[in-house]
Amino acid sequence: MADGHAGTDAPSTGRDRRTGVAGVLDALSDPVTERDREYRRIAALCAPFAALVLLAGLYPLAEVVRISVSTDQYRSVGVSLGAYATLFGDPYYRSVAFNSLWLAAGTTVVSVALAVPIAHALEKYDLPGEDLLVTLVSFPISLPGIVAAFMILVLFGNNGLVTAIVAALTGSRPLDVAFAVSVPGLFVAFVYSMVPRATLILRGTYAEVDEAAEEAAQSLGATPFETFRYVTLPQIRPGITGAVILTFRTGLAIFGTLIVIQTLVVWTLQISRELGNGWNVQVAGAMATVYFLFTFLFTVLGLRYTSAEVGL
Amino acid sequence: MVALSRRVGRPAVTALLLAAVVFLVGPIVLTVVASFARSWTGVLPSGFVTLQNWREVLGLAETFGAQRSMGWDPLVTLPVAGGTTLMVPSELAFSVGLALGGVLINLVVGVPIAYAVSRYDFRGKEWVNALSILPLVPGVILGVAFLRAYPELSGTSVGLIVGYSLLKAPFMVMAVQSEFESMPLRRLEESARSLGASWPRTFLTVIVPNASSGIISGAIICWALAAAEFNFSYIVWAKGTQPLAVFLQRHISNSSFTKAAAAVSMFFCIIAVVTLLLQQLGRRGFDTRGH
Repeated sequence: MADGHAGTDAPSTGRDRRTGVAGVLDALSDPVTERDREYRRIAALCAPFAALVLLAGLYPLAEVVRISVSTDQYRSVGVSLGAYATLFGDPYYRSVAFNSLWLAAGTTVVSVALAVPIAHALEKYDLPGEDLLVTLVSFPISLPGIVAAFMILVLFGNNGLVTAIVAALTGSRPLDVAFAVSVPGLFVAFVYSMVPRATLILRGTYAEVDEAAEEAAQSLGATPFETFRYVTLPQIRPGITGAVILTFRTGLAIFGTLIVIQTLVVWTLQISRELGNGWNVQVAGAMATVYFLFTFLFTVLGLRYTSAEVGL
Repeated sequence: MVALSRRVGRPAVTALLLAAVVFLVGPIVLTVVASFARSWTGVLPSGFVTLQNWREVLGLAETFGAQRSMGWDPLVTLPVAGGTTLMVPSELAFSVGLALGGVLINLVVGVPIAYAVSRYDFRGKEWVNALSILPLVPGVILGVAFLRAYPELSGTSVGLIVGYSLLKAPFMVMAVQSEFESMPLRRLEESARSLGASWPRTFLTVIVPNASSGIISGAIICWALAAAEFNFSYIVWAKGTQPLAVFLQRHISNSSFTKAAAAVSMFFCIIAVVTLLLQQLGRRGFDTRGH
């Protein structure tokens, strides 16, 4: 898509030498045709965003990549792959990567699997108080991970409501029932953060489903499940793929939840620990670089080879 | 024989929706209730109704413990009754200000690029679009990058504001883009141009005011998300007034359960107000698609 230059699009009004980067710059500085002026407008509209991404995103990331191969802890000098050797050689980091991947993948599958029926009910059924239900399901999107973790403590912690009820019903001690501060508790906390986001994406997909086809299937005798399986599901599949990609990215990025429920060391938590324990910035930088490359490639390939719809 | 899915399909899916709502909202309600309780050691919180937790969290009562309450700073001195000074809780005011700064940057960067993608066709448009609506990096990574690239600046207000604006820009772009896509952009632009307005003037005085509902929604959503940003703040914040999310985390990790509940409930109040504002603009909660 980005393989061409805007200048090659310019209609040849005796100016067909305008090709390549120089041509684009020429067209931007001295627009002759309406098409040139349009390019200048597009460039002007994109410039503030590009400046922010460059200053606050790409330059700091480049510095991180640079320090990750530095031989000095505080200055970017020399080239050493020591940090990467640690990262790929030490079995500890392999287990941290594995923790991140299975936790994010597992919670993504559960969250999207829950979000499909939730979005289905919200968009297809005429439920009383539907606007309120949508608002309630969307509310947790704005909650940071630390608050999601607190919600899990409220339900399943030592003093939690569910803990107390289960303990009272089964006659066991609350401390034996509570599971908030454990890997399953962390899993549930991730799902708490991710279900509302996945639902938001899928509701957008559902809004575009062709209802006439569904009604036709129903009147031809298909059961509701068959209608969903053969008519609705094929239409929402791009949305599901998009939701999986975005939710998986969210899952990998979660950090605050882990600060409150510290039961599993994942990639983001380990990055913070590298800085906390003696400013180990080379390894932290290498971890950030690997993370960035992984999510970038994963997203680009996901968008390239599936028909995923991305966007909230 | 009626098919199984015809008999139980809809009730089962509806029940799952209700269960999800209870799972998502139940602990929020419980937290707010517990914030007015004296203690929570049994099945349910007990000792109602006390405002002590709220007073301690907001710094209106003396406290002891690992996490100090909010400090109070003078905001403005009003020229009434011989100079009444308006005091505000410092953590709250600090985060409100930081998030507003982030929103200002988001308006400047987000509205134009949303217009470029909605109005014009150009090569690489899909990639510009993907870059503007997908978060570039998560907060933790950006925090490390800021510490490395701007060691002096990263922990200051400027560093926090710039970081928030990059992290939350996609939400602004999406909200504004959904508004633009519902407008006859080409017709608006061509009408204004044919009446003699220059292109910059058309953009600023015709296009932007017409999209104000989407722009305001985007601003509110970005503000709330920036005020709640924890990951980036935790990595770069070093000293001075705590950002609100760091303040919340200290309470969750160190304070008694009821006091932490009061701190979290205070945050819920902010989000509830934001949600009501968004509904006034015709949006259902944190939805970047208003139409």
